[in-house]
Amino acid sequence: MTQGPTDTPETGPDRERILAAEYSLGLLEGEELLAARGRMASDPEFAARREWWDEWFVPLTDEVAGAEPGAHVWDAIATQVSPPAAAEPVSTGAPAASNVVLLDMERKVRRWQWTAGLTSAAAAVALALFATSPSVDAVPDTTPTLAATEAPLMASIPVGETLRLGVTYLPESEEMLVSAAGLAADGVHDHELWLVPGDGSALQSLGVVVPGEERRVTLAADVARNMADGASLVLTREPIGGKPDGVGAGPVVAQGAFAAV
Amino acid sequence: MSEPRPPSRTTSTPEAREALRAAMVRLADGDSAALEEIYSATRVKLFGICYRILGDRKEAEDALQDVYVNLWQRADRYDPQRASPISWLATFARNRAIDRLRTGKVRSGAVAVEEAAPLPDTSPLADSLLIDAERDAQIHKCLKGLDENAQGYIRAAFFEGRTYAQLAETADVPLGTMKSWIRRGLMKLRTCLEASEREGSAQ
Repeated sequence: MTQGPTDTPETGPDRERILAAEYSLGLLEGEELLAARGRMASDPEFAARREWWDEWFVPLTDEVAGAEPGAHVWDAIATQVSPPAAAEPVSTGAPAASNVVLLDMERKVRRWQWTAGLTSAAAAVALALFATSPSVDAVPDTTPTLAATEAPLMASIPVGETLRLGVTYLPESEEMLVSAAGLAADGVHDHELWLVPGDGSALQSLGVVVPGEERRVTLAADVARNMADGASLVLTREPIGGKPDGVGAGPVVAQGAFAAV
Repeated sequence: MSEPRPPSRTTSTPEAREALRAAMVRLADGDSAALEEIYSATRVKLFGICYRILGDRKEAEDALQDVYVNLWQRADRYDPQRASPISWLATFARNRAIDRLRTGKVRSGAVAVEEAAPLPDTSPLADSLLIDAERDAQIHKCLKGLDENAQGYIRAAFFEGRTYAQLAETADVPLGTMKSWIRRGLMKLRTCLEASEREGSAQ
């Protein structure tokens, strides 16, 4: 082989196809990994390329010797998939009662956000910064599996040197509060918040962040079910109005992770 | 060129595959009994994959639990029209295990193959569900066409979940060199796989 490194282009269609292969194999980490995951959400062509590689690589798993897991694994699965009978909230047609609950939740949320705005050590620890891998060790390893949590989730995402974006999710009402107090618009860009589903599927948009405001939204069911303790969030820089259809998401400017409160 | 691979190992029966596909469809419809059926049929293969990547029995068991619970929660993601159920599940399990490696829950890097303790292989391969003998032969043929370096690193990435940075460190070469080796290998691999697809569709 006489080819030099120059025949592996940094851009162009070849690079694109190879990026999908790198992502499929799991070679990427840090920002490159996040960017590839972002592409999965925004670029069906990229997602299809990844799938093409997945399908080619997966027969290799036939080489792996099978192994028998301990019997307790099934017991744990069975417990998690059959929650207690009362777990599913049923609409009782009692709006007054649920409003009371909601108000109470709001009070709690304000307190959490206030705590976070100061120096919440818990929130700081919850920040999973992929790009600085040494800090990954600091992430609490208590993240449970994906059983939907009923405890509110909170993420505090550092933006720039001093500001924080506060994101709170209330599982009971499937509502998310995004507090961008203190952030200012630059008039040229918007920032879009994305959920990184724990299962490796495509990123889901949580909407454009409105600087200086607290926004409250009810999430669609397919987004809400990915809200979990430990789930990552990324903030990307986009043109005004958010990521246009048909183009890739912008650069990741900040990231964080939910922690149960 | 490499010599042709010997005839492939026993493949899964169409009946087994069909039963699994049907169970996946029932699961998506909310039938939780289907999960146990899927678990019985696939746990040995999927646990083997998790174990190989994570290199630790306890971690692999946690990952496996995660795989099936997540499958139950999101069974609708599987499209029975598109992928074979065992391919889809194997990809899913591998991705979950890799995610676990990357989120720092496990010390980084699986044990190297030679250091790995022998696996308790209670299920001979011939009895487990295999993916696809034909495609298996193709990917092997194309991998063998790469130079040994690229082949070895691509396999290490696939089976051990190694990243570029980890591979570069192990090989004691600059990151850029490792990327360039692997990317060149991947481009060649793609050309070979695309050619085999064209041959396949021409038949």
